Amino acid sequence: MNFDYAIIGGGVVGSAILNKLTRLGKSCVLIEKESDVGFGSSKANSAIIHTGFDCTPGTLKAKLNVRGAEMFPEIAKRLGVKIVNNGHLVVGNDVDRLNELKEKGEKNGVKGLEVIDFERLHEMEPMLSNDIRYALFAPTGCIVPSYELAVAFAEEAVVNGAVVKLGFDTKEVTNKNGIYVISNGNEEVFAKVIINACGSGYNDIAKLIGSESYPLQFRRGEYYILDKNHSNVCTHTIFPLPTKESKGILITNTVAGNILVGPTSYECDASTKTTTAGLNEVKEKALSEMPSLPLRGNIRVFSGVRNISGNDFIIEKSKRKENVINLAGICSPGLSSAPAIAEMVAELLGLNPNEEVKDLKCLQKKIIMADLSLEEQNEIIDKNPSYGKVVCKCENISLGEIVDAVNSPIPARTVDAVKRRTRAGMGRCQGGFCIFSVMEEIAKAQEISFDEVEKDALGSKIIQSEIKPSGGMAEWLKNFISMLSFWVVVQAEWLLHWKPKKMVRQLQLLSVKINLAES
Amino acid sequence: MTGPEYAHRFVEQVNESNLTLFLSSFVEKVETGLVIIKNCDGIINLKCKAVVVAVGCRERTAGAIAMAGERPNGVWTAGQVQKWVNIYGKLPCKNPIILGSGDIGLVMARRLTLEGAKPQMVLEVQKTTSGLKRNIAQCLNDFDIPLHLSTTVAEVVGYPNIEGVYIAKVDDNMKIIDATKEYYPCDGLVLSVGLIPENGLIKDAKMNNKTNSFVVNEYNETSINGIFACGNVLHVHDLVDFVTAESMKTGRFASEYAKGNLHYGVSHEIKAGNGVRYTMPNSFFEGSGEIEILFRVLTKYVKTNILVKDTDGNILAKKFVISANAGEMQSIKFKKDNASSDIVVEMEG
Repeated sequence: MNFDYAIIGGGVVGSAILNKLTRLGKSCVLIEKESDVGFGSSKANSAIIHTGFDCTPGTLKAKLNVRGAEMFPEIAKRLGVKIVNNGHLVVGNDVDRLNELKEKGEKNGVKGLEVIDFERLHEMEPMLSNDIRYALFAPTGCIVPSYELAVAFAEEAVVNGAVVKLGFDTKEVTNKNGIYVISNGNEEVFAKVIINACGSGYNDIAKLIGSESYPLQFRRGEYYILDKNHSNVCTHTIFPLPTKESKGILITNTVAGNILVGPTSYECDASTKTTTAGLNEVKEKALSEMPSLPLRGNIRVFSGVRNISGNDFIIEKSKRKENVINLAGICSPGLSSAPAIAEMVAELLGLNPNEEVKDLKCLQKKIIMADLSLEEQNEIIDKNPSYGKVVCKCENISLGEIVDAVNSPIPARTVDAVKRRTRAGMGRCQGGFCIFSVMEEIAKAQEISFDEVEKDALGSKIIQSEIKPSGGMAEWLKNFISMLSFWVVVQAEWLLHWKPKKMVRQLQLLSVKINLAES
Repeated sequence: MTGPEYAHRFVEQVNESNLTLFLSSFVEKVETGLVIIKNCDGIINLKCKAVVVAVGCRERTAGAIAMAGERPNGVWTAGQVQKWVNIYGKLPCKNPIILGSGDIGLVMARRLTLEGAKPQMVLEVQKTTSGLKRNIAQCLNDFDIPLHLSTTVAEVVGYPNIEGVYIAKVDDNMKIIDATKEYYPCDGLVLSVGLIPENGLIKDAKMNNKTNSFVVNEYNETSINGIFACGNVLHVHDLVDFVTAESMKTGRFASEYAKGNLHYGVSHEIKAGNGVRYTMPNSFFEGSGEIEILFRVLTKYVKTNILVKDTDGNILAKKFVISANAGEMQSIKFKKDNASSDIVVEMEG
């Protein structure tokens, strides 16, 4: 297949680029080695659209964050992704630093910043510790479900003609007469230009292409997610004063109503494990800001990894290879900057980001039963009864919504892909009840057997085997004979020591154990 | 008799009765006199005089216990594994490690063994098991599955599939002792780390933070008039016998309420005293008759008395128990004729 542009890496940045270039009328392919778009850092972060007040003025981070944050509300609306303008607070007692931060923000072009006093702060967030006296308030700050965003960017592109190749692990990149050939060993994709947006895998792909490598550093961040019961904990995103390494451990509400607490920040390998020490650090720091934070109501812990290369994003044309764009070190505020990064990439490719083609299609509006009134739900069930069958009772998700997800423009192929699209399994039981129906629907849509369904990453098959088969008549006979022979032995013993209950018990057990030994 | 056989007797009774059933239906809202349900026919409003909530409980998950390490495929709750094995006939793991000695975990250790898997061990973070003694004997000892007390999973290893776990001893404060960390390969981690009443349906009722569920009076009626609760949504049971008795009683009270025959009077609290974690119900009405109090003890007791006392210290009821431990529900009956104050249930000694 021949394309103008091949984007390698289907995170939120890669998906945003795919979306933009497709909207500019170009033929594009997105290559992702995992089972879904929006993997890696794109699904494990604070899910915040930062305003850009703490970026160093003059950097790409500052420019793209502020621009991205401006673009987001409209884009999210177009994509049908819920975005909430909750407003961000940086709390602390060092008024000088808060004022410095405000000046920095204003230099970056962030609007509406103000330093607020104790009374106003505690009126906004009554559960905050009384030791905290001041805050910088950024009223334009937003929250957004980051995993849905990547999916929506990519799906809208697919609806408008883009191709998304999932589970495509790039093994070789060659250049034949100015056309790049990207191969996974079985399949080849041809493209004039490659955009390397591989996040933590950037250098691996750069090596295959022959483009520049950059020193990448990974910093892990661990989080707690609290039950929706505790959604009244806060109504803003609450940051501490930022340090050099990170924006600090924040407490935020989320679009879905859970409370998110985290992240830590320390150097690590690319694995996303959580550690007891890290989780305790989150606990300690969060409780110092909010002593009554109900951390016992947590339903999930997770961690994500930031890819860092120096102090700024790297977004540039490769100097070593023609027609290659490098995107490396897209750490925070990468999510907030994603649409602006896409614009910048378009400009680097010599395209005008505002010249979108006409008659672009929109994504079909998702039906989300939990958001509707009873009357509206009734109308929808009337047309399609499967929306009346609740599969995930924690989040009130219907069978119809699961069916939509497994048949969407980029079909959810795994249990967690369904979770990211519908929230089934994101509630307090973490899929304990709904996983079975979800697996059945995936199997139906993908035309595979129940046993082939994967949890999330490629190769994560849930079912390992059938249970031990019944041996039929032959086994029954064998059992009978072995039981009989033991019966004789036991009878003999019975006469010697009269302990009938124990005997019968042992007999039963022996027969069971023989069966097991035979299998 | 097996569990399904036992349950089927009730299924038959329901089928023979003239009850209207709404299956595959989701309750959107419950209030006094009204239940709003959703199913494939749409939204249906059911007017009623009394409501009994019997929605059961859910399992605690790896997330809820803030399990450290990777989050791979292969970490499941015992109930999930139970459904795959018993209903679908599939094994999600062949050499699992079981964390938590709750009854479902123990039963699954046996079930997995019988169905062709080899559970390696059962870990319990507490000093004593939380399951029934009977299950320890019949599910672990009979199949030579080792049980490690004061031990937990320190870290889960492997991605995208689980490859093993680091297990470690814990000290008296439940802190992991790093020096005791040991690695065990496994292809599954089955969690049986507690059950939580599924209490989200009735949001306005007064809650009991010991049971994670509703505060109820002697009729198992919540603080909202006409809404009753029984079974695992009220408090987690270990024996179906208690569930059955409690449900029959609650059903009777609910129907008496609907007829307007329920006697309310001066209410007194039933408190948990020495050695008692919680009591069920939480209050009673002055009058005559006998009520049964279900409760759980905090630690292990051997050959002692259960006492029901009033505020003046008079003993209203007394029952001798040979042994009582935290994993097994206890009960005591008392005649309320002479009780005219709050009462306390406690363990002697």
